[in-house]
Amino acid sequence: MKSKSKVSQTMLRQYFILVIPGFVIFTIGIIVPMILAFRYSFTSWDGMSAEKTFVGLKNYIKLINDQEVRDAWWFTIKFTIGNTVIQNILALLFAVALDSGIKAQKIYRTAFFIPCLISSIIVGFIWLRMYSNVLPAINDALGTSINFLLFGEADTVLGGLLIANNWQWIGYWMLIYLAGLQSIPGELYEAAKVDGAGPIKRFFNVTVPMLAPSFTICIVGITTGSLKVYDLLVSSTKGGPGRASTSIIYQTYTTAINGRQYGYGSAMSVSLVLVLLLVALIQVRSLKNKEVQA
Amino acid sequence: MLKKKKEDIVPQKYTKATLVTQILMGIVALLFLLPVFIIFSYSFKSKKELYLGSPLALPESFNLANYEAAFKKLNLSVTMFNTFFYTVVSVLILALLCGMTAWAIARCKHKFFKFAYIYFIIGILIPYQALFLPIYMVGNSLKLTNTRYGIIFMYVATGISFGIFLMNSFMSTVPLELEESARIDGCSVFKTYFLIVMPLLKPAMATLVIMQSFQIWNDYLLASLYVSKKQLKTLTVAIQSLFSAQASDYNTAMAAIVISVVPIAILFISLQKYFIKGMTVGAVKG
Repeated sequence: MKSKSKVSQTMLRQYFILVIPGFVIFTIGIIVPMILAFRYSFTSWDGMSAEKTFVGLKNYIKLINDQEVRDAWWFTIKFTIGNTVIQNILALLFAVALDSGIKAQKIYRTAFFIPCLISSIIVGFIWLRMYSNVLPAINDALGTSINFLLFGEADTVLGGLLIANNWQWIGYWMLIYLAGLQSIPGELYEAAKVDGAGPIKRFFNVTVPMLAPSFTICIVGITTGSLKVYDLLVSSTKGGPGRASTSIIYQTYTTAINGRQYGYGSAMSVSLVLVLLLVALIQVRSLKNKEVQA
Repeated sequence: MLKKKKEDIVPQKYTKATLVTQILMGIVALLFLLPVFIIFSYSFKSKKELYLGSPLALPESFNLANYEAAFKKLNLSVTMFNTFFYTVVSVLILALLCGMTAWAIARCKHKFFKFAYIYFIIGILIPYQALFLPIYMVGNSLKLTNTRYGIIFMYVATGISFGIFLMNSFMSTVPLELEESARIDGCSVFKTYFLIVMPLLKPAMATLVIMQSFQIWNDYLLASLYVSKKQLKTLTVAIQSLFSAQASDYNTAMAAIVISVVPIAILFISLQKYFIKGMTVGAVKG
């Protein structure tokens, strides 16, 4: 690589030409909207009129005091934490179980993976039907009275959505942990065994540190994926009952697209972008530190 | 390969504990597949069975009436074509763009390219859903909404970050000697890339194409914002309107689900190897 440190002008220009198309598309498609959202967040634009009145920080002050937005954030945070904890633990557990030498590993892998091939919009509908039509039949069959109508009440809707989301994504993250597990050299386990470490000690002293890169990917991935939840809600709870399952994106959609408050909606988008960046930064930084130690 | 090594050194015995794990995971796997089974079962049930029969019962016969109804209500010949068209064109453009961008970034040591890599990575940290509102506004003012090229443009823009990240991680598999000898023979940067490097990136591109196809095929938010015209709609958008319109008659919806999931499931099962490679980039210590 060092032999090419003196790249001639022509070559440099040609390299530029290779990068420019992607650069321009990405800039127009993602970066310009980001900048515009920031700009519009200081206006009271309704999305139609030519005039975009500058209102300063008014939208942000409103954002902080808006009970609906607070509720939406609170739901999004609960949903994100729930997913991150449950999905990581179960995905790792499943991966360890599949890697423990059981037969027909491939069939299990495919079974767990199938749900994540399905669009979230469909997953939402499937669980709506599961809770309201299919599962209550178990009560009829067994004579029990378990409450399966999880989307019907504000207290249970989060649990219902967590089940749906975990059903969809556990298989995906499990595959990542599985690949991580399979890349750990067997010598490490042998050495730990010779040192007299039991299975639990081996798990925490060999497996967990060696899985550090997988942890980073899964934790960051699940967090970002949960913060942006929207599709799942559209076809299942529609943000309800009441506003009990309104996520921040859902709230932005209702405010901006249905309520024609583009300026205020932009402020919500900006706040979400900032949260996403902050969370990713903190997570990557602290997790990468662990990776180095390992 | 690493997996084999592990098995050679630590032969895993099939003990009682393994048997217990096997049975437990078997039960969990069956629970996981229950909703899938229910969808298939409902998609063949008649209206009468829907209202009177037990939800857990098998359909009485394999009647295809729901599939016919779904075919019509989804406007399937149009929506399926649209979804297929948007997906295929977008992933091909992505494969082309991400390959050359990632290669240029990996090979050229100029400051701009280092900056460009970080710039593109922003798109992974901020999923487009967070920006759906300004993306929609930009689409409106640039007249990208309700056009085929508009939505394809956006799929490329939203997929490019992950694509470059993915291709970048494959660049070490391209031997530098080949590129250098091409250069000594007087090949330009373009010729080197398109004649020497790109053919070597085929496995990486296959991975990229599969990962992105699956994203775009299943996308709902962008499609619902960008294409509302009847003849441009995608499958997911049509399915969502079917879900809300057919609240009581949901066996048609179940048939629609089967229709929309089958193509992507076939793609996954036949190309699993590439898919898993793409998913696990960065998760395995090099």
